[in-house]
Amino acid sequence: MEIEIELTHLPVAEKIFPPPTAGAHGAWLEFRGVVRGEEAGQPIAALEYEAYPEMAGREIRRLLETLAIEHPCLAARVIHRIGTIPVGETAIYVGVAGQHRAEALALLTEFMNRLKQDVPVWKRRAVPAAAPRQSAGATSPEALRFLDEAITEIQTRCQPLPPVRVPLEAAPGRVLREAVCAPEDLPAHDRSTRDGYALLADDPAKTFQVVDTLHAADWKPRPLKSGEAMRVATGAALPCDGLRVVMQEDVERNGATIKIIRREAALNLRRRGEDVRAGELLVPAGRRLTAGQLALLATAGCTRPLVNPRLRIGHFTTGDEIIPPDQVPQPGQVRDSNSCLICGLLQPFPCDLVQSHLPENFAAAKQLIATREPQPAAFDLLLVSGGASVGEKDFTRPLLEWLGFETIFAQVAVRPGKPLIFGVNGHRVAFGLPGNPLSHFVCFHFAVATALARLAGESGPQFLRGRLAAPLNEAANPRETLWPAQLTMADGELRLHPLPWASAGSVTCFAEANALLRVPADCPALAAGAGVDFLPAGGMLGA
Amino acid sequence: MRVLFFAQLKDVTGCDAIELELSSPLNGEQLWARLAEQFPGLLAHRGNVRLARNWEYADARTQFAHPDEAALIPPVSGG
Repeated sequence: MEIEIELTHLPVAEKIFPPPTAGAHGAWLEFRGVVRGEEAGQPIAALEYEAYPEMAGREIRRLLETLAIEHPCLAARVIHRIGTIPVGETAIYVGVAGQHRAEALALLTEFMNRLKQDVPVWKRRAVPAAAPRQSAGATSPEALRFLDEAITEIQTRCQPLPPVRVPLEAAPGRVLREAVCAPEDLPAHDRSTRDGYALLADDPAKTFQVVDTLHAADWKPRPLKSGEAMRVATGAALPCDGLRVVMQEDVERNGATIKIIRREAALNLRRRGEDVRAGELLVPAGRRLTAGQLALLATAGCTRPLVNPRLRIGHFTTGDEIIPPDQVPQPGQVRDSNSCLICGLLQPFPCDLVQSHLPENFAAAKQLIATREPQPAAFDLLLVSGGASVGEKDFTRPLLEWLGFETIFAQVAVRPGKPLIFGVNGHRVAFGLPGNPLSHFVCFHFAVATALARLAGESGPQFLRGRLAAPLNEAANPRETLWPAQLTMADGELRLHPLPWASAGSVTCFAEANALLRVPADCPALAAGAGVDFLPAGGMLGA
Repeated sequence: MRVLFFAQLKDVTGCDAIELELSSPLNGEQLWARLAEQFPGLLAHRGNVRLARNWEYADARTQFAHPDEAALIPPVSGG
């Protein structure tokens, strides 16, 4: 039985194809286990799954192979998603191909029963659903949100923008919004992998008549008879089935005849459909397109993929103490670093960014916005740097509300970055980012990047698991901390080196940071070697 | 030898893995005894936790030695 197993942090594709069975299956049975909106009688927003991946993969395979003895099937594909899975999304997918439905149904049922006994995967925790908005307390905009709650709210409130078709040149970094399957076998014909001579695979003759020549681009279908050969170039499509290619080094040519002096075992050809069979999945929906995937789409002739539109992003900086970076600060002034920080952080996301500075006076700021193009309504995402606290001049929240945004939350129990504001207005979303650069860095990675991913149709950044390379000794803090760290790979393990960091005003530490460690609230110290959750950051984004 | 903990057992031990110094191979019973010295709270779970060695469930005859990877598998709940 052909078996394919995947444990993934990514959403399971909408459409999945059976592993190849050479057309022998008469039944393709699919089952999806979906996260229900209720756990132990309480409404939930998501379930968190954990796995022992190395063992889970082996157990799934062992189970399928054992069950296939009694219920012989042709192929099976199992995908188990792990990490945080929102309500309504697939946690497990099982596809079984059998000659007939009876054995496929039996195998599937038995597999699901045994999976729940033996495969090391755990429902770790339910993420409680946010209570309805009118109820006081936990979900009023004034209430402090825990990190997970804030991320879940952003994921739920941000809806994917309507997709568009674009030429391949415009598609790098966009999120594919449809599954793309192979329209034909790849390669479409048997192709030579050598410069040489094509002849019948089992032709015992020693000398051959060269009847034609095939260049890489030629297509000349014809049968070959015993004693006939065709000169072929590397990559040329062979004229019929059942051939082999003898390398030119292994023959002596004399005019229009060749004599074989050495016959290798290798056939020296790529079989039709060797890469992909017609109808097989090439790239699932929801993937941010890489160069390799674009090349695959081009090969398959998918020249106008359905992807997310370029995001339109507005960024306002605030604060009278902020001066452009090319000026010399007077006492009390600082150079603006947030504009280029945001610009740099947005690099992996295809977008059009408009940045401008607002005066530190609400009336003047409103007037400037009202008279300037483009209007804020033109942005899918609006970012406001600074003014997020509750000081007299901190007008970010009133400004966003003036622009029609409903404030979803205005404080998150995370350090740094507590006064983070999140608002929505229809499909448009806005963030008020605390002014310190390190807070910007942190809030971008857990909040803004989540919104960018969701708007584009992706699942959003996921915490990964690594190991501390050095101890992290820190007085316990009542808030969770996202601690800047440097991630390296050593001995096949991700190792995290915490970077020295004194306050949210720190500007040196995140220049080297490519990860944010998740330090639990009230955690006194973490020893070297301890397992920690982290969020890839900076250069690691999208890794 | 590395010993891994999963799910609620991580809450008991406060970590997801430890390194055990072994002078000679241990059977399951001896491994439990060593772990209980360090984490007495694990014993409360022993009745429904299975041991695994190198990604396969262990049985009564299994011996654990360096450089194996051992794991404590609490009742699973996938799917």
